[in-house]
Amino acid sequence: MIQSLILSTLMFGAMFSVLTVSLNLQYARGGMINFGTVAYFAAGAYAYAIFTQEPPSGLDQYAFGFDLPWWVGFLAAGLAAMLFALVTGWPTLRLRGEYLALTTFAFAEVFHSILLNERRIGNGSVGMANVERPDPASIGLDDTLGYTLAACALMLLTAWLFHRLLASPYGRLVDATRDDEIAAESVGKDTARVRLQIFVISAIPIGFAGALYAMITTLVAPALFTAEVTFFVWIALALGGERTIPGAILGTLALVFFQELVRAIPFETVRGAQIAASAEEVITGILFILVLRWQPWDRLSRKAGS
Amino acid sequence: MTDTILKLDGVVKEFAGFRAVGGPGGLSFGVRRGGFLGLIGPNGAGKSTTFNLISGVMPPTMGRVTLDGTDISALPTAGIAALGLGRTFQTPRAFGSLSVIDNVMVGLAHPEESPLAALLGRWKSAEKQLIGRAEAALERVGLIQRRHDSVSNLSGGELRMLEVARQLVREPRILLLDEPTAGVDPALQGKLSEILAGLHAAGTTLVVVEHNLGFLMSLADSVVVLQNGALLAEGTPDDIRRDPAVIAAYLGADHEA
Repeated sequence: MIQSLILSTLMFGAMFSVLTVSLNLQYARGGMINFGTVAYFAAGAYAYAIFTQEPPSGLDQYAFGFDLPWWVGFLAAGLAAMLFALVTGWPTLRLRGEYLALTTFAFAEVFHSILLNERRIGNGSVGMANVERPDPASIGLDDTLGYTLAACALMLLTAWLFHRLLASPYGRLVDATRDDEIAAESVGKDTARVRLQIFVISAIPIGFAGALYAMITTLVAPALFTAEVTFFVWIALALGGERTIPGAILGTLALVFFQELVRAIPFETVRGAQIAASAEEVITGILFILVLRWQPWDRLSRKAGS
Repeated sequence: MTDTILKLDGVVKEFAGFRAVGGPGGLSFGVRRGGFLGLIGPNGAGKSTTFNLISGVMPPTMGRVTLDGTDISALPTAGIAALGLGRTFQTPRAFGSLSVIDNVMVGLAHPEESPLAALLGRWKSAEKQLIGRAEAALERVGLIQRRHDSVSNLSGGELRMLEVARQLVREPRILLLDEPTAGVDPALQGKLSEILAGLHAAGTTLVVVEHNLGFLMSLADSVVVLQNGALLAEGTPDDIRRDPAVIAAYLGADHEA
C-alpha cells in the first residue's frame, strides 16, 4: 500500500508539477495571473485524444478521430496548447493583474462549456473513453511505473528547460519586463512580445501534461477539466513558494501526497468516505492558511542564507 | 537653417478634457541637433508630460512629434527608443529584482536575447562582450563598486545615476533627462555635470528638465520655459534670465540673474 501511495503521488505529483512549474514561469517570472490554466491542460488532453482515437462509429458523436500513433497525438497536444495560448493571449495580455486573471478564467469557462455542449469535438459530457496509449509493457514496465517515470521525465525536462530559459539574457529581459514595463520599453524592449512569448512558451508543457493525463486516465471528459484543476495548481504553487522551480515542485508533491493519503485510507462505509473527502478539503484549506500566515519557506531560506 | 533633430508641432495632451500640455494653440518647439536644451517651468507646467509625449509613454491628443523627420507621434515607446531616443524618469525607474549591472545590461541591444538563444545556450560570448560596456557606463556614473548589489540597496540619488547609466550604454542620439539632480548629492552632481558636458561635446543632443537652475544654465545652450502647458519663452540662458515674463512666472521677482 505504501508503495502504491508513493507511486501515485509521484505520478500525479510530477504531472501536476508540470502545470505549477509553467504557472511559476507565467506568474512569478512573467507577472501574469492566469486563472484559466485548466483550459490549456484540456486543450492538450483533447488534442491527444482526437489525434489518436479511432474514427467515430456507432453511437459516437465526435466528428474527428485520426487514429494516429501516440507520439503524433503527444506533439499535437503541445501544439494545441500553444495555439490556444496564442489565440487567448494575443488579445488579453494588454490587461494587467486581476483583469487578466478574470479574462483567462472566463476563457477557460467558455472552453469548458464548448467541450460540454459541442458534441462533435469530444462527445460532449460523455467524453472520449478508452483513449489509446502506449503500453509500458513493451519496454518491460508495468503501467503505473511506466507512467510515473514518464510524468517524472516530463517534469524534469520542463524544469530544466525553463531554468535554462531564465538563466540567460532572455530571462533578465523577462524579469525586467515584469519589474517595470515602461522602463524596459524606454530602452527599446518590446514588452508586449516578451509577455506573449512567456505566455505561449509556458502553455506548451501544460499541453503535454494534458496528453499524459489522458493516457493515465484513458478518458477525456469535461468533468475532468473544471476550474478545480486551476485552483489546485495555484494552491500548490502558493504552498511551495512561488519563486523557485524546486519550490513549485515540492508544493505540488506535498499537496498531491496529502490527497492521495486521504484517498488511500480504507473505509468501511460510504458515509466514512464522504466525511473523509470533506475533511480532506477542510484540512487543505487550513494548511493553505497556515502556510500563507507563517511562510515557512521564507524562514527556511533565510535560515539557509544566514 | 538650423538642423533640427526633434520637433514638436502643435502638440496637445488632454486628460478628460483638461489640457495638460498645449495651451490655446498647441505646443511647438524644436531641438537643434547636438544642442543642449533646458526645459524649465513651474510645477505642473507640463514638462514631464511633454517628455512622456515625446518618448511615446502616452500619445498626444493632437499634433505631431518628429524625430529626424520621422513622425513618431503614434509610435510605441520601444519603437521610439529604437530610433535612438533615450530618457530618464522624474521618479527613477529600476528593475527591482535585478542587480545593478543587470539593470544596465537590459539597456543594451543584446543580439542573443531570445528564447531560442537561451535554450541553446549560445548567448555567453555575446554577453561577455557586452558586459564591458555596462561596466564602463557604471564606472562613468560612479556605481562600479556596487555592480553586484541589489538595486533595493541603492539610494534615490544612486538610482538616478543607475538610470543614466542604463541610457548611456545605449549611446542614444538624443537623451531626455527628467530632473537628473533631484536628490543627488553635490559630489555626484559634479560627476553628472561632467557626464552631460562630455555627451554634449561628443554630439549627443540633450534635453534636460531641471529646477536646479545653477546646474542647468551652466550647461544648456538654449532654454524653453513652459507655463500651464504652453510655451512662455524660448531663448539662450541669458535671454531667459532677463525675460520679465519668466521672472514673474517662475524665477520670482527677487531672482538674482
